[in-house]
Amino acid sequence: MLSRVFKKINLGLVILFLIIFSLGVMYPLVYVVGAAFSPGNSIASLNIIPFGDGVTFAHFKELFTNTNYLIWYKNTLFIATCTSALTIVVASLGAYVFSRFHFTMKKSMMLAMLILQIFPSFVGMIAIYVILLRIGGLDHLWGLILVYLAGNIPYNTWMVKSYIDTISKSLDESARIDGANHLTIFWKIILPIARPIIIFLGITSFTAPWMDFIFPKMVLRSADKQTLALGLFSFVTDKKNDFTIFAAGALLVAIPFIIFFIITQKTMVTSFGTAAVKE
Amino acid sequence: MGIKLKEDGSSKKKILITSILFMGLGHLIFLKQYVKGLLYAAIEVIMLVMLPTIISKINGAISLGTPKPDLPVKLRDHSIFMLIDGVMTLAIVVLFFVIYYISVRSALASYKDYCIEKKFKSNSESMKGFLGKAFPIFGLAPTVGLIVFFVIVPLMFSALVAFTNYSSPNHIPPNNTVDWVGFANFKAMFGGNATWTSALGRVALWTLVWAILATATCYFGGMLMAIILLDNKLKIAPLFRGIFILPYAVPSVVSMLVWQNLLNGSFGTVNRTLMKLGMIHTAIPWLGDQWLSKFTVVMINLWAGFPYFMLLITGTMTAISADLFEAAKIDGAGRFQLFKNITLPLVMYQTMPLIIMSFTHNINNFGAIFFLTGGKPVLSDTTTTSAGGTDLLVTWIYKLTVNLMRYNYASVLAIMIFVILAPFAVFQFSRTKSYKEGEL
Repeated sequence: MLSRVFKKINLGLVILFLIIFSLGVMYPLVYVVGAAFSPGNSIASLNIIPFGDGVTFAHFKELFTNTNYLIWYKNTLFIATCTSALTIVVASLGAYVFSRFHFTMKKSMMLAMLILQIFPSFVGMIAIYVILLRIGGLDHLWGLILVYLAGNIPYNTWMVKSYIDTISKSLDESARIDGANHLTIFWKIILPIARPIIIFLGITSFTAPWMDFIFPKMVLRSADKQTLALGLFSFVTDKKNDFTIFAAGALLVAIPFIIFFIITQKTMVTSFGTAAVKE
Repeated sequence: MGIKLKEDGSSKKKILITSILFMGLGHLIFLKQYVKGLLYAAIEVIMLVMLPTIISKINGAISLGTPKPDLPVKLRDHSIFMLIDGVMTLAIVVLFFVIYYISVRSALASYKDYCIEKKFKSNSESMKGFLGKAFPIFGLAPTVGLIVFFVIVPLMFSALVAFTNYSSPNHIPPNNTVDWVGFANFKAMFGGNATWTSALGRVALWTLVWAILATATCYFGGMLMAIILLDNKLKIAPLFRGIFILPYAVPSVVSMLVWQNLLNGSFGTVNRTLMKLGMIHTAIPWLGDQWLSKFTVVMINLWAGFPYFMLLITGTMTAISADLFEAAKIDGAGRFQLFKNITLPLVMYQTMPLIIMSFTHNINNFGAIFFLTGGKPVLSDTTTTSAGGTDLLVTWIYKLTVNLMRYNYASVLAIMIFVILAPFAVFQFSRTKSYKEGEL
């Protein structure tokens, strides 16, 4: 009897803890949502209680009429889609070759890629800038896509290669006997089986460019070529603080991300786990 | 061409010599593989035509240009372009020799086939075989091209800059040239210059402390929540789990910028709220004090990072076989013992690679610092070195490059990151399946 009461109290405490913890976790998020709909500009003038000063849609209106928000969104979407698609093609094709063929210098190439992936790409930003200048990629979206693509390849090729290694080679053999060439085997047999890792690769390389700041700042100059991260950052610099507009803009980025994430979280986490553990 | 080859393998030397003499020559004279031979020969011809350019580009990278103060700025030697061109040219030359090597190997392989089959493959047959055998080349061409020109060349360039005096204000092309200075930058950073040395020591130490704290707090924070949610058999656990995932789902730039504003010392919402509630009377400098800001960034990183490990550990824990627990319970183990002896070791073992990955990620965690504090607060040497109280090596590199234009010191830091992280990369490599099975 006593132990049951004790258990009840215990459970109550746990739930209380969880509720307080959830409030702490949600606090900044709720506050941003509140800020997006609150009158005023700077964070200094905002009511400390979310939605405390009434609701307004003025900031969203301002985003769409007085700023290039839609262009930023479009540019970022384009960059992310292209980066993701190209990364899938290049990394999975490379991974297939590394997994299935024996050729000169394979070992040193794989080790080189493993070492290269530890550097953040911006360590070489001066050289990347000059190279883009030379090939005319500055201030073009494709220049940025190229930079992201190259940065994605070393790690992701390894990741996909480790996955393809687990696919039995007898499948390739039987297809080859039926007269399939390498490309067909890759396209019709390997890719469908490797789908979990390909989806994972697609998602991670799609989400990363949304919030990258360094390279867009370096590569893109003209006003109609800005991305979301640059635009949002420009609302809350040291010089001015348009926190409410920033909040409105951030909300429109975060909501699709959250929805997407909740839908895919199970696959994401299991792939994340397997991607690393499989190696 | 009617030059006969012996079928017993004794003409190997002839093939080897002709192939080395000129790319594709062996294919053309002996092996009757004209298309392939011409392709190879064309590559070598192009290289020979370009030879003067190649030599002048590489010379340019070695000399880095001479100062010509009397010329207009546009006509002066641009040392940085010369250096990058030199590195790119070098990369092309290396690629050329790799292709050369492949061509010799291919000639020898074709001869071996001839000796076995006693006849040449017809041209169409050999092209088909070529396409089949050359599949790795086609498959890897984009990978190699991109990596060479957008990863290796930039990194090589960065590494070389560490040995030059490329820095503001006196050595910025095109006004001035840049020169090789040997190890001078390393000497200045490691003891030669007191201000820079102390800044480097401080930043490097904080980078390590940060990476350990950030990884450990997120890991154990995530584990704690995973256990609480799994252990108590709550019906509403999925709801809480859904809430806790939110920080992970929000893009980190957004959440860090939000926190930066909320925690602002003078007008931030957190301080204003605490003051209204009467809990504090003066503003707390969350991001303004040297030590408090370090604590704050670790805590905010915990907020953003624990969901990932919570999800991961939940997954690992549910996969542990229930038999193990049953057996332990029969032996009289308590809940804590079950956790200590079964759950914890298994989860730790399973997630070890991810802990290491998270650690290396945190060493390079640019976003968490740059958007939250910008590296601030300002310390006594910040005006000279630009390194603030929460700057990591990566954010410092960024500031040295973009704000101070001290490219030479930034490159020294990049090399340091390499030295810190390379052992982890090798460790990861040694754990891979293909390495263990001796395939590589």
